[in-house]
Amino acid sequence: MRNLDLTSGLFWLVVGAGIALASLRYGFGTFVSPGAGFITFFAGVLLCFLSLILFLTSIRKKNSLSRLGDLWKGVEVGKAVYVLALLVGYALVLQTIGFLVSTFLLLMLLFRVKAKYSLIRVVLLSFLISFGAYLLFDAWLKVQLPKGILEGIL
Amino acid sequence: MEIFDHILFGLSVAFQPVNLLFCFIGVLIGTLVGVLPGLGPVAAISLLLPATFHAPPVASIIMLSGIYYGAMYGGSTTSILVNIPGEAASVVTCFDGYQMARRGRAGPALGIAAFGSFIAGTLGVIGLAFFAPPLAAVALKFGPPEYFSLMVLGLTVLTFLAGSSMLKSLMMACVGVVIGNIGLDLVTAQPRFTFGLNILLDGVGLVPLVMGLFGISEVLLNVEEKISEREIFKTELKGLLPTVRDWKESFWPMIRGSVLGFFLGILPGGGAVISSFVSYGVEKKLSKRPEEFGQGAIAGVAGPEAANNSATAGAFIPLLTLGLPSNAVMAILLGALMIYGMPPGPKLISSHPQLFWGTISSMYIGNLMLLILNLPLIGLWVRILKIPYPILFPLILLFCLIGAYSLNNNAGEIGLMLFFGILGYLMKKFKYDGAPLVLAMVLGPLMDQSLRQSLLMSGGSGLIFFTRPICLVIFAVVAVIFLLPLVPLFGRLRKTVSEADDS
Repeated sequence: MRNLDLTSGLFWLVVGAGIALASLRYGFGTFVSPGAGFITFFAGVLLCFLSLILFLTSIRKKNSLSRLGDLWKGVEVGKAVYVLALLVGYALVLQTIGFLVSTFLLLMLLFRVKAKYSLIRVVLLSFLISFGAYLLFDAWLKVQLPKGILEGIL
Repeated sequence: MEIFDHILFGLSVAFQPVNLLFCFIGVLIGTLVGVLPGLGPVAAISLLLPATFHAPPVASIIMLSGIYYGAMYGGSTTSILVNIPGEAASVVTCFDGYQMARRGRAGPALGIAAFGSFIAGTLGVIGLAFFAPPLAAVALKFGPPEYFSLMVLGLTVLTFLAGSSMLKSLMMACVGVVIGNIGLDLVTAQPRFTFGLNILLDGVGLVPLVMGLFGISEVLLNVEEKISEREIFKTELKGLLPTVRDWKESFWPMIRGSVLGFFLGILPGGGAVISSFVSYGVEKKLSKRPEEFGQGAIAGVAGPEAANNSATAGAFIPLLTLGLPSNAVMAILLGALMIYGMPPGPKLISSHPQLFWGTISSMYIGNLMLLILNLPLIGLWVRILKIPYPILFPLILLFCLIGAYSLNNNAGEIGLMLFFGILGYLMKKFKYDGAPLVLAMVLGPLMDQSLRQSLLMSGGSGLIFFTRPICLVIFAVVAVIFLLPLVPLFGRLRKTVSEADDS
């Protein structure tokens, strides 16, 4: 764990320092009349202090050395990145092209991430699920999902 | 007996058709998410939360609670049949439950788990009805300093019991406090940590945070794993009813598990997980044949299953009496109650009796429904377990996406959820626990408020926390907890729980 704790300790140390500094900018106030950054300042300082302990203790640990790259050893990290990219893409186009079309496309791509199903099966499944979800959430539960390019039809 | 009048009133609320329906939907969804590994009650409740905004508040809370205790039931099925815990509190059930299944006794294992859960759930509900009102009466005397100390205590206990290292859990609690305070400051209306983004002005929503940290991150981790087929134990599920001998061996473990679980459930953080481990340890110690534990001892299923169910009832106590959540699920319920305009706290029982007594009574009815659902429908749950992951994970993602979007009909919430998904993914890789972050995030604004009020009261002196007797006692307990890991016995307990969480 040595390298991992070293890296994450350093990361949180920087984050903690950033939080403490930003809090001072928001206003620490006084103890009688605390400002907007009062509690977050203390949280930031404490985070710095704890991260420093983690950082220092991981330097002192001699055994169980593991590298950052070991975290992604033996796994298909590309698939996780691909899925994440699809989700980001979905968030970007949802409002414009609408729930039904974007969900249908997303599901089609997602179903083929971990298995090789036939195209017909994937299309059918994606259609049924996206349409079913639309009926359930929009028509029944009254969640207003964006209609996008199908505005005139739905 | 006043309490029985209250329970009768509660039953009259719970038996209203709409509440019965919501209770049924809740326990059904709960069992489903409990059965499916990788989808827990936290994600399921946060997913359904936005949908409940259009439903009556009491019915909604009844349903969300049903998901929570229903998941405890469902988790045992997966543990026994697949040797994978459906959710964290069912880890212990794998030890003996799966061994029983391998010996052709899957039926009695599932049966005793269901009966144990039912009995414990019932005892837990009775405990809740008896303990919550007096505690709420005491809590009425609490002022901001007492609340602040209690929140510090809650976070300390949580970090002590959390799976990863105490140091890392404390760090996550700090991060949580900061995230909870993102947005406009209540007093000065000054934006804090918003980075110029409008979506952050109102603060970070609990739903995108929780779904990101627990839902999206879990899917990302599973997607990158090389696939392996789940091996469901092929055994004929005959004879779900345990024999007289099974009952004899399980009765006292169930009772002990229920009592243990209830009291451990009140503690913040992992109550259900810890109580199941403690119950297993106690039963092994008390057994005349401890060597049978791990080889398919029925007491090793009955005790922990009872413990994790009554712990769910215990977990409601701090929420409903003090307004302080003890775990991530309770944190979401706290958020839900706020949205419904029923802020939890000592006055909840008197100001919204239909909510308090109705929910408690519905839990009793829900436990009965679960018993009925679990025994005859076991075959259905087994079939659901066979849904391949390549089909399942897109569905989990879709529900998360809809859940986040429907909060404010804003795709920005999806972006926020994905951000926390990446954070959660990295946190799991680097072995940081998400629970302290969520709890601290919920408590963050409350802590900010009570700290400011306390300092105003004392004219800026921090001594107020040490001159008021209740605060002093609470801070003394906090100090003891920080020293506990140095005691070998408690150090070992933390290590066991930590290993269970990792598995």
